[in-house]
Amino acid sequence: MSSVWLPCGDYHQDYAEDQGWWQSRVIKGKMILVLAIMFLGIPLVAPDYWLSVATMVGYTAMGALGVQLLIGYTGLLTLGHAAFIAVGAYTSTLLVLQFPWPAFILHWGLAYPISIAVAGIVAGLWSVLFGLPCVKVKGFYLILTTMAAQFITVDFILTQYVSQIGGRGQAFSLPPGTIKVGPWAIENDFEVYYLMAVILALMVIILANLLRSKVGRAWVAIRDNDIAAEALGINIVWYKLLAFFVAGFMAGIAGAFWVSNTAALSPEHFPWFWSLWLVGVILIGGVGSIHGAIFGSIFMVVIMELLQMVAIPLADYYPKLLIDFAFIKDMAFGLAICAFLIYEPNGLAYRWWQVKNYFNLWPFSY
Amino acid sequence: MKKSILLGFLALLLSGIFVCGFSSMVVAKDIRIGGIMDTTGATSDVGKDYALGMDEAFKYFNEQGGVNGKRIKYTWFDYGYRIPEAITKYKLLKRLRSIVIMGWGTGDTEALSPTINKDKLPYVSASYSAHLTNPAKTRYNLFFSSDYSTNARAAITAWFDKKWPTKPDYGKRKPRFACCYMFASPYCSAPIKAIKDQAKMLGFEIGPDQDVSLFALDTKSQIMALKEFKPDLLWHGNTTMSVSATIRDAYALGLNSDWIVNNWGFDENLPRLAGDAAEGVMGATPCAFFGQPSKNMDIVVASAKKYNPGIPLDKRLIRTVQAWGDALITWEALKRADKAGDLSGPGIMTKGFETMRDFDIGLKASPITFTATDHRPATGCLIQEWKNGKFQPVEHVDLKKRWPEKWAKEWLGW
Amino acid sequence: MELFLMTLTTGILVGGIYALVALGWVLIYKCSGVLNLAMGELTLIGAYVTYAFYEMHIPFILAVVLTLLVGIILGFLTERIFLDKLIGEPILSVIMVTVGLSFFFKGAIEFVFGTDTRVFTPPVFALKPINVGFLKVSPVYLWSFILSIVLLIILVCFFKYTRWGLSMQATADDETAALSLGVSARFVYAAAWAIAFMSAGVGGALLGNINGINISVGYLGLLVLPAVVLGGLNSVPGAIVGGIIIGVLQNLSGTYLDRYFPGGVKQIMPFAFMAVFLLFKPYGLWGWERIERV
Repeated sequence: MSSVWLPCGDYHQDYAEDQGWWQSRVIKGKMILVLAIMFLGIPLVAPDYWLSVATMVGYTAMGALGVQLLIGYTGLLTLGHAAFIAVGAYTSTLLVLQFPWPAFILHWGLAYPISIAVAGIVAGLWSVLFGLPCVKVKGFYLILTTMAAQFITVDFILTQYVSQIGGRGQAFSLPPGTIKVGPWAIENDFEVYYLMAVILALMVIILANLLRSKVGRAWVAIRDNDIAAEALGINIVWYKLLAFFVAGFMAGIAGAFWVSNTAALSPEHFPWFWSLWLVGVILIGGVGSIHGAIFGSIFMVVIMELLQMVAIPLADYYPKLLIDFAFIKDMAFGLAICAFLIYEPNGLAYRWWQVKNYFNLWPFSY
Repeated sequence: MKKSILLGFLALLLSGIFVCGFSSMVVAKDIRIGGIMDTTGATSDVGKDYALGMDEAFKYFNEQGGVNGKRIKYTWFDYGYRIPEAITKYKLLKRLRSIVIMGWGTGDTEALSPTINKDKLPYVSASYSAHLTNPAKTRYNLFFSSDYSTNARAAITAWFDKKWPTKPDYGKRKPRFACCYMFASPYCSAPIKAIKDQAKMLGFEIGPDQDVSLFALDTKSQIMALKEFKPDLLWHGNTTMSVSATIRDAYALGLNSDWIVNNWGFDENLPRLAGDAAEGVMGATPCAFFGQPSKNMDIVVASAKKYNPGIPLDKRLIRTVQAWGDALITWEALKRADKAGDLSGPGIMTKGFETMRDFDIGLKASPITFTATDHRPATGCLIQEWKNGKFQPVEHVDLKKRWPEKWAKEWLGW
Repeated sequence: MELFLMTLTTGILVGGIYALVALGWVLIYKCSGVLNLAMGELTLIGAYVTYAFYEMHIPFILAVVLTLLVGIILGFLTERIFLDKLIGEPILSVIMVTVGLSFFFKGAIEFVFGTDTRVFTPPVFALKPINVGFLKVSPVYLWSFILSIVLLIILVCFFKYTRWGLSMQATADDETAALSLGVSARFVYAAAWAIAFMSAGVGGALLGNINGINISVGYLGLLVLPAVVLGGLNSVPGAIVGGIIIGVLQNLSGTYLDRYFPGGVKQIMPFAFMAVFLLFKPYGLWGWERIERV
């Protein structure tokens, strides 16, 4: 699905261009536009609330990228991703709050960035721990073990042990000013959005490059037929565990980011519902592509916001709508997933690919 | 065909953006108050009634002229007892320019506390956690009722004063005490340290805590674990749903001990859910039950009938009255601050709430005092029990009178 | 010792209810290959429907029978509307559709009934425990267990001796062969879902009697998954044994292990146990081994 189309007169002059990410001038222009919108357009134009919605989209996308890696690229069915995000968030919070940092690190504002990196690594290792069953089981059974991972991590270890560290208090509150990246304190929505944009862009770049390399090819081979892949000499145990590690790493970073958005942390941020939400996001967006994760996030978050916008004025006539809005959201989520899986099994990314092709081939029809 | 789908989607998106960019018309003389309530989540059995009561209270205040003539615009959202939702809704309410927020749960109130202190937004919560009563740490958090730790200490003291002397083993040994609550919930675990301190002070033998989820339906294994300890008194810190399940199981398994329950677990629904097992259960009551004769109760009942006629009056709970409690002190504070001409956050605090000395809201609540160094509104609590088909008072314990040194010096803030 | 026996008894009795729900799950999987994550919500629907009938002053046993009928209708409808189109789709899609269904049902039930705990009033079973020897057994558990066993026997006889039951078994065994013999696969799928709804519904109604009905009943339905994994996904006796084992495990761990941990062991123990069990016996006690060919 990715044969590069070059318009007339556009040709490559050296190997670097041939291997480049943005291969034609149209694509270059398009990507610069996207980056401009993401980094300049939205923060400067959008009102405060929509900025936080955009941050939410970014956060969902970060989680969805990890799940996409596991399900879409490696074929490992996972239903416990929220647990790894939680591990990252808690590691980061505890490091920022409790670790005795030397004075110069605090002075340079490096505590939080270091904690993000450590959170990623810890979450990655934790993810490998719960990914170990994938060596022996697959398919449905792997779903069950990752579900077990979710419950054990969040409902048990985090809720009972970790959140009680430092005295009573299920929710860790980070006082304003503790989260600093270098000289900038991350305090309002504007700064959080920029942090999200930077992290998301880095994640996409890293993941896309990984997928283009030998590692990525091995993952796709495992997805397609893992016994055949083994027969060809790919060490499937190593690559499966690597997939879990990378997905966990990304989840950890997403969790560490989330801490800066909410400035308070409790296990309720990472229920099983969130794992299901992420899987739903990639199914709606399209399994097997990075676009899918991003489109899915945008779609799901925006639809939920629109639903709320519609429900609020109506609530004056039917107060029950507002009181029970959470239930309507549940129903909408369920119906959305069923509808998409029945009628659009390839997701939004497929439609995007169709649109792109239509314009690429225009005025020809095939 | 593809084009029309695209156009349709685009049209939908644009109309959506149009709708949400549209802010509601602002009347300059409106006072905007925000509300974050739980009507669908883990504590919604008590939260829904509270949310309805709060809504009715503000409608009544507008009928009485609002705040010195200015209309109150009260907007509330449900957050389902999920802290991340609470934070999102708080940001939304801030964007809608609320000057006071009526909050709900302990977890999110404590999590939002640094933020509201930075934003200087008065936050009147339904969480009566003692961790919110020290203005040195939480300047802008308030509530009308005696806090959970005061309730807990008062409850165990009332049992010790009135019930322990009637037991056969009185004088021969130390009474045994244990707590049942949801370990992971900040609301449930708020007063545990205080009640254990009180128990030690009064001379109880303290047993192992039992974890009972807010949603629990089956607590038999926890009760069976308690049977070995044979407690005389058990504290339950959850809301009515799980309290009734635990009491029923204790009754079914023959665990003969007395119960003292936190105020959010003790209401008109408890005997309905627990049946015979609720006989003799004691609980902390910060105000009168719905319909109990007291000053201002007629207004509460009349408003409930007028604004929510669809819900029969016998289904309303003490939670409505608690909502009125928080609403009444907010109204009074806003009136005072407005008369002094300062409706900013610090103004409402210093010229509104903190000028209250023994302010009586009726509804059988203790008179309310806020000072710049102490946000504990009441010094004691009335403990009642369910006996012979109705609620009867056991004792009103005034902690300040009995232990004035400890009240003033040691017990603030936990 | 008394504590141990009481816990064991309670575990076996509750396990009977889990076994009933697990049976429905295995049926769906055997007949149509659908891995159903919505079992919890089916249990919830059954509980609330029985409650609604009971509130209309219909006697309990009749309410349960009416729930069975409602279950059959709902099962047919669900299968026709949602799952028919998914025959042949990859496993993840099917699972996620059932997840979507579970959210839809959960939202609908909460919207209609609210989140308050509902109690059967007047109580169906007496609250005071019966003394069997030195054990105190609650009548709720005892009657629930008996009812579950009765229903299990009825279902097993249905499968062995009636035409419909035999055709369902045939389809589960080899669908193409059954089709060639004139068995309607669509009817079999619909019937499997209907029976699953029925068994989950009765399970829910019985569970609801213990201390009231609220959304937690749905979480109890999630416990079905460890039960069927233990017993083997394809095996009906495995589901029954798995359900009972999970019930016992849950209660034993709640009573004995809770004191070593701050709490919450009861909920996660079945899943932790299942995760470890899968490492040693991936196909459960009686499941069929899958042989994969490249």
